Amino acid sequence: MKRKLWQSILLYATVIVACAVVLFPVYWMVVTSLQPPGSLRAYPPHFLPPDPQWQTYIRLFIETDILRWMANSAIVAVTATGISMVAAVLAGYSLSRYQTKSSENVGLFILMSKMLPATMLIIPLFGIMRSLGLMGSLWSLIFAHATAIVPFATWMLKGYFDSIPNELEQAAQVDGCTPWGALFRVILPVAAPGLAATSLYGFVLSWADYLFARTFLANNADSWTVNLGIATFKGEYQTDWNLVMAASLLAALPIMIAYLFLQRFLVGGMTAGAGK
Amino acid sequence: MTDLTQPRPVTAPVRRSSGLFGIDLASPRHARKLGYLLLLPAVLLILGILVYPMLLAIEISFHDVKFATLSFGASDYTLKNYVKLFTSSDFWNAIGVSAKLLVVVTSISMLVGLGAALLVNQQFRGRGVARMLIALPWAIPEVVAVITWLWILDASFGVLNWMLLKLGVIGLPISWLNQPLPAFSAVTMVMVWKGFPFISIMILAGLQSIPEEYYQAARVDGANVWKRFIWITLPCLMPVLGVSLVLTVLWVFRDFSIINVLTGGGPVGATETLAIMTYEEAFSFFRMGYASALGVVTLIICALISAFLVKKTSHAVF
Repeated sequence: MKRKLWQSILLYATVIVACAVVLFPVYWMVVTSLQPPGSLRAYPPHFLPPDPQWQTYIRLFIETDILRWMANSAIVAVTATGISMVAAVLAGYSLSRYQTKSSENVGLFILMSKMLPATMLIIPLFGIMRSLGLMGSLWSLIFAHATAIVPFATWMLKGYFDSIPNELEQAAQVDGCTPWGALFRVILPVAAPGLAATSLYGFVLSWADYLFARTFLANNADSWTVNLGIATFKGEYQTDWNLVMAASLLAALPIMIAYLFLQRFLVGGMTAGAGK
Repeated sequence: MTDLTQPRPVTAPVRRSSGLFGIDLASPRHARKLGYLLLLPAVLLILGILVYPMLLAIEISFHDVKFATLSFGASDYTLKNYVKLFTSSDFWNAIGVSAKLLVVVTSISMLVGLGAALLVNQQFRGRGVARMLIALPWAIPEVVAVITWLWILDASFGVLNWMLLKLGVIGLPISWLNQPLPAFSAVTMVMVWKGFPFISIMILAGLQSIPEEYYQAARVDGANVWKRFIWITLPCLMPVLGVSLVLTVLWVFRDFSIINVLTGGGPVGATETLAIMTYEEAFSFFRMGYASALGVVTLIICALISAFLVKKTSHAVF
């Protein structure tokens, strides 16, 4: 089926317009962050800053704690993703290989745990964290995030493991592997794209959290994560939009980069459990 | 544990005690035990941080507590919170706002998501890049997205008002966040922008799993583009559409960050959903019992909606 010229032009035009509309906020973030303060209120707005102000970023590092906030976010996201991946790999593998009957209900269970409104859970969790003395500590966030990630991660990984033939471990076990050996040395390497997609999902979920951070960490500025920091910062620097946008861009950057590298795994990963 | 992962010679006996609790987990006899053992960490996390708090929230909702405590039965059981809830006009307003937002955001996101997926499923050069870029908002944290939109929507210097004025769509700048309808539209806009990429990603994967032969056969039979879409693409996509629908509905219904940072539920409650109201009651007014009751009602509505949707789409989903 050959496309006519006008059809090709129309297709490319649509793709370009769609991408432009979708990406405009990101573009505007970059442009605003480089704008000199005086031209933020220019009319008409400058769509390309005539004189990019890179020192905005230096000012950001000096005047705010953004580096610490990002470090906190990174610590929480990596630890929470790590914990939940261990739990999800084991559970996903178990559901894929051992629980043939009950795994049919797991879809519903996952849906159920995704159904719980975080704004409800956070009320008792607030009390629990207080009595455990974890208020203001990054651990409160790590546990909350890990649990938020586990159900969907398990579901994604179960889908991946389902797509790997059983014969693979049987062969490994015949060759003398224990069940653990078969999982760690045969199955996990094969499921690497699935692990990558699932980790990315967990990392994004944790990095993006605002609700838990705001509730558990608000009183301890040393442990603020990047979203909490920026939301507070935005309240203080109402009109310094160049500074606010620079901070926002930095906060979004790690995930955007991870996404660009891992995106091709993600498409398969998210639907691995859903398509059947 | 290290001995478990050491390479064994091929000549070694196939079955040996693997040493964990002295049970040979490799034997078929113990396979079920191993299965449950593997589930344990996930189950413990979910019990500790999802199920236990949920039960606690239900418990708190029947007490007149002003601050969250862990002591069960500290005060008498009471239905006060629920009575207050159902007679409160704020509650019914929040139900209305949630319902409106649910219908508007979900339907627009599904349409945009489907459109975007169909677009980047076409054959063209640079398709990989387009697929990557069009779903980028998924990767941007909600708070960051909202703050960027706050600047775009700024009443005096925002670029959106400038564009709309330039195009002649509006005659005067809109004060997006200070009036009910514009504020609701702003929330819708940001939620669709943030939410459609996930749907697109799901649908794109669904599109790729439709065998090309179906289309070839349909073409031989003389089906045009529209007919192929209605009779092949849509039916094949049903499972994915069902899952996306459920996940999107639940997301819209429970989302906190976007509305909290964008409008805080205002102006005059025009964007105050159940989730926002729950949080406000709990952490601005510290009425923990009342807030828990709100949370429980939210949970029940979520359960009913998803049960309904799963039933409607179950023949395709599960």
